[in-house]
Amino acid sequence: MNFAWRIYQLLAKAFPHEFKLAYGPDVTQLGKDVLEDIAKRHGAAGLIRLIVDVAIRVPLEYLTEMRGDMRHGLRALRKSPGFAMVGIISMGLGIGLTTNVYSSKWALLFRDLPSVANAKQLVMPEKPVSYYYVEQYREQKSLFAGVAALQTGIPFNITFQGDVNAKPERVFGQLVSVDYFSVLGVQPQRGRVLNAALDRPGDSAVVVVSDRFWRNRLNSSPNAVGQTLRLNGQPATIVGITPKNFNGALSVNPAELFVPITAPAALAPELANDVLHQRNAKEFLAMMCMAPGVTIDSAEAALDAITRRLDEQDPSAPARMDKGRRITLLPAGTRVLIPRKLKPVLAGFFVALMGLVITLACANLANMLIARGANRRKELAIRLAVGASRFRLIRQMMSEGILLSLLGGVAGFALAYGLAVLNSHFTPPMTVPLESDCSLDWHAGVFAFGLALVCGIGFSLAPALQATKADLTPALKEGSMLRLRGYRHFGLRNLLMVAQVAGSLMLLLLTGFLVMGISKSSSIQTKFDPRTMYLLSIDPVRDGYAPERAQALLEKLSERLKTAGVVHSIALATQAPFATEDDDTHQLTAENSGEFSRAPQSMIEETVGAAYFATLSEPMLAGREFEERDQRSQADGSKTFSLPVVLNETAERRLFGNEKAIGKHVSDDKQSYEVVGVVRDLKNGIGISQSVIYLPLTPRDFARPPAGGITILARSDAGTDALSGIQNEIASIDLNLNIFNVETLSDYLDRSRSSTRFAVQTYGGIGVFGLVLAAIGLAGITAYGVAQRRKEIAIRTALGASRAQVLRLMLREGAALVSVGTVLGFLGAMAMAKILSALTSIFVEALRVGTDDPRLLVGAPVLLAAVTMLACYVPARRSTQVDPLNALREE
Amino acid sequence: MARVDPQTFIPLKTHWFHIMLSLAGGEQHGYGIMQEVLNRSTGKVRLWPATLYGSIKRLIEAELIEESDERPAPELDDARRRYYRLTPLGRRVLDAECERLQELVRTIRVKQRMVTQ
Repeated sequence: MNFAWRIYQLLAKAFPHEFKLAYGPDVTQLGKDVLEDIAKRHGAAGLIRLIVDVAIRVPLEYLTEMRGDMRHGLRALRKSPGFAMVGIISMGLGIGLTTNVYSSKWALLFRDLPSVANAKQLVMPEKPVSYYYVEQYREQKSLFAGVAALQTGIPFNITFQGDVNAKPERVFGQLVSVDYFSVLGVQPQRGRVLNAALDRPGDSAVVVVSDRFWRNRLNSSPNAVGQTLRLNGQPATIVGITPKNFNGALSVNPAELFVPITAPAALAPELANDVLHQRNAKEFLAMMCMAPGVTIDSAEAALDAITRRLDEQDPSAPARMDKGRRITLLPAGTRVLIPRKLKPVLAGFFVALMGLVITLACANLANMLIARGANRRKELAIRLAVGASRFRLIRQMMSEGILLSLLGGVAGFALAYGLAVLNSHFTPPMTVPLESDCSLDWHAGVFAFGLALVCGIGFSLAPALQATKADLTPALKEGSMLRLRGYRHFGLRNLLMVAQVAGSLMLLLLTGFLVMGISKSSSIQTKFDPRTMYLLSIDPVRDGYAPERAQALLEKLSERLKTAGVVHSIALATQAPFATEDDDTHQLTAENSGEFSRAPQSMIEETVGAAYFATLSEPMLAGREFEERDQRSQADGSKTFSLPVVLNETAERRLFGNEKAIGKHVSDDKQSYEVVGVVRDLKNGIGISQSVIYLPLTPRDFARPPAGGITILARSDAGTDALSGIQNEIASIDLNLNIFNVETLSDYLDRSRSSTRFAVQTYGGIGVFGLVLAAIGLAGITAYGVAQRRKEIAIRTALGASRAQVLRLMLREGAALVSVGTVLGFLGAMAMAKILSALTSIFVEALRVGTDDPRLLVGAPVLLAAVTMLACYVPARRSTQVDPLNALREE
Repeated sequence: MARVDPQTFIPLKTHWFHIMLSLAGGEQHGYGIMQEVLNRSTGKVRLWPATLYGSIKRLIEAELIEESDERPAPELDDARRRYYRLTPLGRRVLDAECERLQELVRTIRVKQRMVTQ
């Protein structure tokens, strides 16, 4: 009983201060009075009940108090709407931007694929391998629970059975081995997934469709399973539908169809030439599910040894002497695959960016709260003096900050939602549709509000502590006119201000670097009116043409269009000109390059047909461009035959230095090429000129067109609408030919610019946001300082100080803070840029352009300093309006 | 001051009802309230100390009861204890609640008769 009594007393002491003041003794007394009675009547159970009663009541009382605080805070905010608005806007901007980054980038990079049970165990070698290797990997039962092969971004021209006259639609899918779904751990929502027992080579073709395909193209038909589609002209039966949100592995390029590689080769040109049994056809990605207990490191080491052995067994492959790892495994359970080494770097970058933004917003909030707390010093001192507990006052003051921050969270979530909607309107011009999916879900919501709560608590605690720390006597005497510590003192407020200026400058510079880098890529210049060039893509092979007929068709088409006078020049290519997406890169070495190093150079590869440069009005700087006969040359893989290639200027310089490239040879690990021509740098990647090698279109390209099909570039005279003419001509050759991606070059360029413009605006917006916040914060502090020092100003003016002198005095403090902050911010930004570019190559190009740009390096600090000094000046000017008589009389 | 409508408090929380009912007869201190409720309900309802004072605090905030400044006769007075009494509003609320409960009992009776007949 004694023990119970002691616990009871302890708990009774834990009641909130105010409750304790009013009822504490009563509760204790009553407990003492009834204790014996209860023990007698109910025994131990009664005592426990007694203690539980208090234990429940204590938190309840705190909650009630908190509710009161919140109401009080809300009233206080309503009374000063200006303060509330600035607070909510700055927190809203901070939280909104952070949530936007979180939902668009973080989720994309780090969240597991939806509906994929084995996501954590999935790994994938960086480079594609041949199907033979996949089969060999599959044998490693101790390492892998399963290994599936896949090809992603495969276009299919589909028609729905029964709809005879319908034009085919182009839909992207994956070619997968039959164990694909079991390796991923995906269950169908209807029908079945592919299955080694049921789907055997030689069976009639089947296809699994995605949930999205089922909804959008089959109208969620309950009878979809069992229906027949025509894929590239061949029938295939739908056997199952994938679960909701599942768009395949590597789902940045969402797949809508999953076709087994056991399907007849007529179904997909990718399966032609018996690709499954060719040891050299490194066409397949190997998706592996690690066995339990296997780590990615041990799997990589083991796989490397196996691959090495397999490479050596292959008699046709050239001997390789390299010592490094041949296999790099990537964790494959996310939407985008990132090398493990890069993961912490990317995470670090985003955390730093988000952290800077949110810290700025919070520092602003804290600054405002400090200023407000200082104004309430007298009130707080009185309340402390008459017996309010400090803890209670702190909680009350914090409730205001938390409230602001939560309201900011709501505003921020709305902002993030708006940004997500805006973002979804931008379709970057990619051949394979790209899904960035930055729609907000509950993760983002939880993130935003968690962030708001943490920031609210964290950043209102310090101001509350400071405000209630008051030494009662001077605070009561002077009220809020408490002597302000000068800038020479290392106060919390000054620290925050310096941090804010430094943080803003870092943000401004870093985003500036990115903006500079990105915006350079949109400066594409054409030598003609881009509205007169039309881009159209066709893919005859997938419309059921044999490869030879497809090539004949395309060549006939060019001929007919030119003779009909619809267009004056026409060329074929496997990609749009000035393409911005990551093309195939190629490692090339110059042969016989004299003293120049034979280090392989990384080049972008573009495949273009005859008269391509003439169609773009690009004169050859040297040599010739491709002709019709080049389109018929067959690359047979032998070292004696050289495929003709054209280099751009940068490629020529990188490979051959100052020597002329014409007539020289370059080679990759497959074959040798002869340089026949050189052109101007046609395209800018991010900011710097990139090496481009142009390969001729060959029969192989006609037989197996890439995801974007064969692109026709046709130029007409200005003012004529050539498009319908071109389409009529194509229809007159074959009515059922699927024509897609039809647009003018200018539309295409606009589209590619709009996505870079959006990126520029996002990053630029973040930078400007920091600037605005810093200005608001500094203006607030200066205004506060002026108000605090009215008396001092009055005395100085009364003693004969001029207005200019007073103004200078007021500005000096701000100037000191700004200059310290600027220096620190500049150093910080440079350090961060160095770290980022040292860690990864992703930002190197953008950062190099940015850090070399004097406009940015000088401009950003000057801009920041100017804006912040202006923000200081406006409130400081009020100091000159202080009337000494009035100010002194108030005392 | 605007008259507060008693109906805004109806139905009363059980604890509130018991406390207010104990105060209907006159002023009472916490221990007294607790004992009365215990006796009235023949030991079935016990207001535990913390709950009792938590409810008293809320009743005072709602202006249904108030602390009494009148003390009982000196020989009965316990100087350590504070006394509470109903406010006029509290009395009206208690009346309204009693009426509601009576209505409820009447309805139950009628129902029972219908069932038994």
